[in-house]
Amino acid sequence: MIDATAPSPPVRASRRRTHLDHLLVFAIIIALWSLATWHFGTYWVSSPWAVAIRFVETVASGELLRHAGYTLSEAALGTLIGGVPAVLLPLLLRRHPVVVAILDPFMVGGYGAPKLAFAPLFIVWFGIGMESKVALVVTVVFFIVYFATLNGVRALDARLVQTAQILGASERHVARSIVLPAAIPSIFAGFRIAVPYGIAAAVIAELISANRGLGYLVQNGAMNFDTTGVFVAVLMATLLVQAAISIMNAMEKRLLRWRPPSEPWLETGT
Amino acid sequence: MSPLLEIKKLGKRFPARHGREPSPWVLQDLSFSVAEGEFLTIVGPSGAGKSTLLNIIAQTDTASAGEILLGGASVTTRDPRALKPGIERRIGYVTQDDNLLPWRSTIDNVLFALEVQGKLDDASRARAEKLIQAVGLAGFETYYPHELSGGMRKRTALIRTLVYDPPIILMDEPFAAVDAQTRTQLQADLLRLWEMGRKTIVFVTHDITEAIALGDRALVLSKQPSRIAAEHTIPIPRPRNVKDIFALPGFAATYEKIRADVQ
Repeated sequence: MIDATAPSPPVRASRRRTHLDHLLVFAIIIALWSLATWHFGTYWVSSPWAVAIRFVETVASGELLRHAGYTLSEAALGTLIGGVPAVLLPLLLRRHPVVVAILDPFMVGGYGAPKLAFAPLFIVWFGIGMESKVALVVTVVFFIVYFATLNGVRALDARLVQTAQILGASERHVARSIVLPAAIPSIFAGFRIAVPYGIAAAVIAELISANRGLGYLVQNGAMNFDTTGVFVAVLMATLLVQAAISIMNAMEKRLLRWRPPSEPWLETGT
Repeated sequence: MSPLLEIKKLGKRFPARHGREPSPWVLQDLSFSVAEGEFLTIVGPSGAGKSTLLNIIAQTDTASAGEILLGGASVTTRDPRALKPGIERRIGYVTQDDNLLPWRSTIDNVLFALEVQGKLDDASRARAEKLIQAVGLAGFETYYPHELSGGMRKRTALIRTLVYDPPIILMDEPFAAVDAQTRTQLQADLLRLWEMGRKTIVFVTHDITEAIALGDRALVLSKQPSRIAAEHTIPIPRPRNVKDIFALPGFAATYEKIRADVQ
């Protein structure tokens, strides 16, 4: 068996090298940040140290995680509600190109429209609770994943479908055993882009009107001239995105085992 | 006994593109029949419409003229939407490209047909395992197609069709893309499997030696528009040793006769 889990020595060495480079870039960012703090003063730009302390404090008190939890729930629920139909629709419409063509201008419009501008409207419609944030995430995630899946379905190798039909596959089998697995790489490409946008959409909807969530923390910090609080909330949102990307990477690795492995140094986090 | 598969005055031309002259006939007045248990080979030059012919029989493409009878009943259609690829699992098709499903391992590719036909049980699994062993793929069951060599992929594609036992199997130059040595081995594998079950096989190739080594009978296709230019019964007794096919009595004479007919 080819063991893909045990990296060869040069790969391991290059990985260690990459980790060192990560640390180096991190140090440069912290240095630049400190420079900005020193230049503008802590009133305008909070210091990395103050942010780190506040981060640890608010995590320890549970407050930061509670707000992060709200934002995460909104983003996760919105991704689910928007993502599932966005994957199913192109799969179900594969045999009905006329319907896809009829929908197309509206889908392109929905894709291109600045969805964040709907946030105030959703708050009017759904209130300042979770629903309005979820609705915004849904609109952001749906169109990105829809077009990514549609591309995957369109790029399908017709010969594989014919082969499966000759072997006795019904339309349902073709959809489940050929079209879906063939579209998985495209679906993942869609979610990779959609999920960070979805988390950002939840935060921005909270910014406009909410009494909890990371966006609320940002808004609250800015109102009280507490730049440390703003930085902590933004840092937490960034960590959420990183965590979501890590989970997607792990899922993709598992679901796409069948693909020839790519060169390790070409793999990136986003 | 009526032939299992009968092709009558088959014709094919592809639809003319807008504003162009009607496209020429690829196949015209093409007729032949295949008896049950017969290994028929069809030889023709490149571009003679060999793949088109098999696509029409397998119903992944329509005929423009003529008729196809399967077990005495017509299965012809001119409507692309009414096509039934593989016509209810009675026609297996081993294409030139292996068309393995890249996300399925060797064993799962072999079991695919049984799975979608609802025939997956202990007996059919045992049969699949036997075929895997017969073509030397034992130990590679969990490998994905990209981890297999070209010859192994061909073998997988071949037994994926053999495993569900369709009455007729069409083969479109399945061994064209592998090196000469592997090809001889694959031909020997195919003959051994065929001796076990004596399926009806229509095997298309541009290689005269292959047509003689495998077939009971060889048809020669003319250049376009293709029709049957000649028919030769292969006088070499079975079982045949593919590796020494050149040395067998009757080979040289048959080769010369077929070569004279292939334009």
